[in-house]
Amino acid sequence: MENKATDQTVRMIVAISKILKNGEWVAAGTLSPVPVAGTLLAKHTHAPDITSIFFGDPADRMGEGLFELFGLVQKGKIDVFFLSGAQIDQQGNINLSVIGDYSKPKVRLPGGAGSNMLYAMAGRTILFTATHTKNLFVQKADFVNATAFDGGVKTPWRRGGLSHVVTPFGIMRFDTGINRIVLDSVFPGVSVDTVVENTGFDLGTGTRTIPTIEPVREEELRILKEVVSREMRPIYPLFTERLWGAA
Amino acid sequence: MKIRPDLKKVKDPYSGNGNEYVVVPPIIPDVAIIHATKGDRFGGVTTFSMRNDLLLARAARKTIAVVEELLEPDAVLPARNEVYVAPFHVDAVVLAPRGAHPTGCPGKYGVDGAHIKAYMTAAKDDRTFRQYLDTYICGPKDHNEYLRKVGL
Repeated sequence: MENKATDQTVRMIVAISKILKNGEWVAAGTLSPVPVAGTLLAKHTHAPDITSIFFGDPADRMGEGLFELFGLVQKGKIDVFFLSGAQIDQQGNINLSVIGDYSKPKVRLPGGAGSNMLYAMAGRTILFTATHTKNLFVQKADFVNATAFDGGVKTPWRRGGLSHVVTPFGIMRFDTGINRIVLDSVFPGVSVDTVVENTGFDLGTGTRTIPTIEPVREEELRILKEVVSREMRPIYPLFTERLWGAA
Repeated sequence: MKIRPDLKKVKDPYSGNGNEYVVVPPIIPDVAIIHATKGDRFGGVTTFSMRNDLLLARAARKTIAVVEELLEPDAVLPARNEVYVAPFHVDAVVLAPRGAHPTGCPGKYGVDGAHIKAYMTAAKDDRTFRQYLDTYICGPKDHNEYLRKVGL
């Protein structure tokens, strides 16, 4: 049962969980509570054999440091990774460095960190965003930290690339045939027009019928509140409290 | 490569297929300052493994380790999620309990959220930022006075 009050964040968590497959190795970063919740939900529903690695979670012990996770991605052990961007463009390029001209930026951002290697070498990458606006989804990013697919040219280290983009409006996916992000499906109550109006590039909707995503089920809400929240609280206390209340 | 002229291209010497790769020069810090939970007077320290302090200490020309507690060498043993940094990588040890404040020291104490919030507010304009510096950074004559100032 889903109603108007169902949190956008919860819808995104459930959507992410369904994109993950049983048996996959899934990794997420320290600033990614939504993908972490989605991964945990998947483990407690259809994908119990997922191996998850969350950077910064003391439960996921490493021997020497976080750079070991980058090594796992380079070796090809990580099937799914999560990234985001201050700008995401039609080709799936992400910008984490500057808004505006590089030499005279309007906004200077923290930078790409390992995103370039991760986007190329993880099995596939899911992008997630907290908003869905024309400022975020642009025709062409002001600066490119990491590419989704290298314009169809296979570069030496590329193993995977962009698979899905999960936003508060629904799910977009990367069409490797045309090298573009296209609209896949929308959350209940979100119209295709709304998504199109808030995206800075053509989503390839054309005459296609865009399906509406199945509403969040009671059972999923229950698992999130009773199980996932307990597992997440130690690493994301504020996020957990906002969604599911104090411990 | 337009904005990073220090990056160069090299031909892959192994595959023989003529692939060109962009290579990145290593970062060699002049000085690294790491925060450690335990340390001895010879420079052996234990530190939180997730922060890559060990890598940093190995890479830097000089490494200063700030330690929460000074012990005999045999007692400097890494706890869960800690690593041991050998004395050969460490040039100086500074004893400063609660030295990571207002950030946290995993396993010892958490982040001082209220102080971070106060700093963020103060950092919004030059006048209040100057006041913050005078009160907490330039004002206190030593670490103990800083700790008293922040209420520890």
